[in-house]
Amino acid sequence: MNKDLLSGVVLLAVAGTYYTWTTQIADSTLSDEIGAGGLPKVLAAILAILAVCLIVRTLLSARMKPATAAAAAGNADDEEADENAKLPRAIGFLLFGAAYVALLPFVGYPIATALLIAGIALYEGSPRTWVIPAAAIGGGILYWAIFVKLLGVNQPMGSLFQGLF
Amino acid sequence: MATFWDIIHLLTETPIFFVAIAGLTWGILGGALPGISASITMALVLPFTYTMDPAQAIALLACVYIGAEYGGSIPAILIRTPGTNSSAATVIDGYEMNRQGRAGEALGISLMSGVVGSLFGLAMLVLLTEPLSWLALAFTPASYFGLGILGLSVIASMSGGSLIKGLAAATIGLMLSTVGTDPISGVTRFTFDIPDLLGGIEPVLVMVGLFALTELMSQSGSAGMSRLNASIRIKLPSLSMMNKLKRSQFIGCILGLFEGLTPGGGGSIAAFMSYNEARRWSKTPQLFGKGSEEGVAAPEAANNTVASTAMIPLLSFGIPSSNSTAVLLGGLLMHGLIPGPRLFEQSAQVIDSIYVGSFIAIIAQIGIGIIILPACIWLVNRPRQYRSGFIFALILSGIYTLNNSLFDLGIALGLGLVGYLMRLTRFPVLPMILGVVLGHMVESS
Repeated sequence: MNKDLLSGVVLLAVAGTYYTWTTQIADSTLSDEIGAGGLPKVLAAILAILAVCLIVRTLLSARMKPATAAAAAGNADDEEADENAKLPRAIGFLLFGAAYVALLPFVGYPIATALLIAGIALYEGSPRTWVIPAAAIGGGILYWAIFVKLLGVNQPMGSLFQGLF
Repeated sequence: MATFWDIIHLLTETPIFFVAIAGLTWGILGGALPGISASITMALVLPFTYTMDPAQAIALLACVYIGAEYGGSIPAILIRTPGTNSSAATVIDGYEMNRQGRAGEALGISLMSGVVGSLFGLAMLVLLTEPLSWLALAFTPASYFGLGILGLSVIASMSGGSLIKGLAAATIGLMLSTVGTDPISGVTRFTFDIPDLLGGIEPVLVMVGLFALTELMSQSGSAGMSRLNASIRIKLPSLSMMNKLKRSQFIGCILGLFEGLTPGGGGSIAAFMSYNEARRWSKTPQLFGKGSEEGVAAPEAANNTVASTAMIPLLSFGIPSSNSTAVLLGGLLMHGLIPGPRLFEQSAQVIDSIYVGSFIAIIAQIGIGIIILPACIWLVNRPRQYRSGFIFALILSGIYTLNNSLFDLGIALGLGLVGYLMRLTRFPVLPMILGVVLGHMVESS
């Protein structure tokens, strides 16, 4: 499916879901004439209109310019295929962040940071040498020294190693 | 405008000097990293300003902006890869000079033209924001609402070819700004009984997610770049050379002023326009593209001018005209500073700190620019695999410092994914950020 068409459908779904949620907003005696749900309902309507516009425009342009689209299809397809191929990789990158968030309360800030640096280095194709653990341990200690010791941020020290730091 | 005694107070009673130097240094380092734009450099440091004094925090962000505009020219000249978008025009003659063995000279011209542009921009900032603030004092709540709408109209110039997508992105941004407690009635909206959402989604999370995390995700798996030559040193231009460059620097300053004031203008357009005009007015236009000093001076003067003049519509009316000023606006909001006219009435010290901090940063740029070059080269030469991990850890550590909340980290990661999907589907992210930043202002007015 065309990306713009898909985007339009997704936006329409977002607008619908958001509107459903606006109906659950409670009334208040402090509210003005518009109320707490007034602006959100208007926004849901605007997004729905824009989504429909995007869908219609995409469908019309696909019907009206088949020749032009076919001519440009070669380069665009290559570019799009390249971008699509990078999506799983980009999501994989983000999952390291999710793993960091999951591990942080258990292993603590220095170790989670070291694991994140090592994980990303491996994921990005760094050669498996002593540099990876060295950089990871160094990075974990460096950030711990900056954030916890220097800036006094109350980073989690981990339930596994409670009392150690 | 800051009086003499205000400035003396700032210099003696506050750490403004150190803040300016720190911001400048961070800005140059961040700007020198290809892919890390001025706005990303500012977004990275934004969480760390959370606990700072508001005046110092905003001055820090302004100085980061100034430093990043110069820093972007370093890889542009040395490896033909602009560190920031606005240094793309510097590549043309800067890299050519490097190929001719004149890299130090090109870096020196870039540095000094940047200082000239920044000083001019700062002078315009000081001169123009004061009269505009008087005009703004007459504003009523209806005017504030109009200003919010005007700010959102910037979307039209930043939609990257599709107004529908820009407006949709802005609407989603506005939707995000409605999460939390309603400013009028106190009713909670879209919180789903999650206490972390009662205060709403902070603009800083949106900025870090959409700018910084999305960029890191995009760079994942990409090829490495050329290495910088570590032996290069800056060679400052002589007085006769500066005299030769004054015409192109003047063109850069004027176009930088114009583009800084224009919503959606920005440093990139100013740099390319000034390059073109400098060639048109040059006595030696045939040298452009073949290592012309004027070809480096004009765009660098222009993009550094924009770093100051883009703050004029922001500080006077609360209208961010670029990504970087949107981050600055986020910084103002984060510290409870109402962007626009009220800022001059209620928080004059913030304005004074921006002026004084920027001046210190611009002057210090000459020395710091020379000293920090080896550090920039070292940083850019680090393998991307490690650099990504360290930047990712820095982002996550910074976000956690905001509220000591893992939930904030989750939101930022989610927004990183949203930003990446928006990039894939060609949706501009700036309108969404503007929607989040300006949404609260529009509704509460």
